[in-house]
Amino acid sequence: MAGTGRDERAWVRRAQAGSASDFEALFRAHWGPAYRAAYLVVRDAAAAEDIAQEAFLAAVRALDRFDRRRPFGPWLHRIVVNRAIDWARARALRAEGEAVDVAAPEQRERDDELLRELGRLSPEHRAVIVLRYLLDYTPGEIAELLELPRGTVNSRLRRGLDALKERLE
Amino acid sequence: MKFVVPEEREAEERAWAVVSAAYAEREPVAWPRRHWQPLVAVAVVAAVVAAALSPPGRSVVRSVRKAVGIETAEQALFSLPTRGQLLVSSRSGLWLVRPDGSKRRLGRYRDATFSPHGLFVAATRANQLVALDPKGAVRWTLARPAPRFPAWTGTRTDTRIAYLSGGRLRIVAGDGTGDHVVARAAAVAPAWQPGPERVLAYAEGRSAVVYNTDRGTVLLRTPPIPEPVRKVAWSRDGERLLVFAPHATRVYRNGKVVEQDDPSDATLDTDAAFAGRRGHVAAIRFAGVSSNVFWIGGGPVLFSGTGVFRQLAPSPDGRWVLVTWPTANQWVFVRTRRRKIVAVARIAQQFGRRARVEDWCCA
Repeated sequence: MAGTGRDERAWVRRAQAGSASDFEALFRAHWGPAYRAAYLVVRDAAAAEDIAQEAFLAAVRALDRFDRRRPFGPWLHRIVVNRAIDWARARALRAEGEAVDVAAPEQRERDDELLRELGRLSPEHRAVIVLRYLLDYTPGEIAELLELPRGTVNSRLRRGLDALKERLE
Repeated sequence: MKFVVPEEREAEERAWAVVSAAYAEREPVAWPRRHWQPLVAVAVVAAVVAAALSPPGRSVVRSVRKAVGIETAEQALFSLPTRGQLLVSSRSGLWLVRPDGSKRRLGRYRDATFSPHGLFVAATRANQLVALDPKGAVRWTLARPAPRFPAWTGTRTDTRIAYLSGGRLRIVAGDGTGDHVVARAAAVAPAWQPGPERVLAYAEGRSAVVYNTDRGTVLLRTPPIPEPVRKVAWSRDGERLLVFAPHATRVYRNGKVVEQDDPSDATLDTDAAFAGRRGHVAAIRFAGVSSNVFWIGGGPVLFSGTGVFRQLAPSPDGRWVLVTWPTANQWVFVRTRRRKIVAVARIAQQFGRRARVEDWCCA
């Protein structure tokens, strides 16, 4: 569970000052959303783990330069999603098959189907849908995160949702 | 869309092992956290000076001065809104202000405090701790290097003055005898706990220490906050301890944090104090170009205005709090319950530049 903005700023400040417990609080608050976002883009649990872990390592390296006036979550998610898109593109170039479907058996069938179809979208379309509907960013925020024009974000969202709807029907 | 990726928890633990090791090995950049502040301050001062020197600049400064502050402010401190007397220090020296507004300059002193019943004053100057009567007559002096921040406690028959000198906290009896070192301490005013025992709070870097001076024992050392402690203060009942820093304020009761405030980097608190009859903590928050006085525990904003509020000084009965407002060259007395505002203008003309309330005593 992510902390409040105030919690988060305090964690970042203390982590910069060397507090391991505050850095752990920051990690625990953001690991889940980051890992899930990566997974939804790459559809591969091992790759998602690597991507999320790499994003946190990047966070450690950049911690002292981090502008504490900015929220930590969007900054981390931007790294995660961009890396996930790169990974998914590279996999497509290697002509790998679809990612192994590792959905848990207890998940509802409808969710399985949705996730499976999501995995068939292009990485770019997956990324904006994950950011919008899993991480609850607004289209404006997604545009800022991915450095895309807002119109491009909207069109990717629209096309991605249309494709999902078509396949699910 | 809510789901959990299989083995999410295990993945988290594996990642934490790697990430925490990287964090442990990292070498923080050796750049003081607030390093930019002096640079910004210098830049602001340079810009203001440059602007003020030009004819259009002078005009702007005049109009800003007129625009900031309470228009209906009294032109002099005719009286205090409640009982007690004030000690005010400034570039021109130390002043004692009576409830009827009459004031007397006690001499060139830096920091000062009243004795427990307001009958005497302890003050510091270059290399002396000095005890004075209210007319400014010196009762005794004690030569110590650069003494600062005297704090006086006790009964009518037995008192102690704590003060800092040479990076050490020292205590001397009210008659100037028995001076001795207590501990190393940061350059922050120590605070005696109200109550029968002689218990003192002082700052030690990023922590505050509560020390029983009779038994010679440390009762509490608070966990470090992210920046050096700038103020310690006790509630009037002596049950709560305020530990203040601009970006991290904590209130302790029985060794536990009961209230805290961590302003974001875009803002900072310039002071905090116990105020109001119930002894809640009020703080000054400076954000952008304005300041406001608010209760840390929540509640209505007490007072807000343009520019910088520097200091909060609660009245001895807790009903009023004095907000110093150098940008407007005003003091604002704010009644904390059934809010009422009494503003006084031309503070620099009455007390000299950089006027600061040293103590407000005694109900």
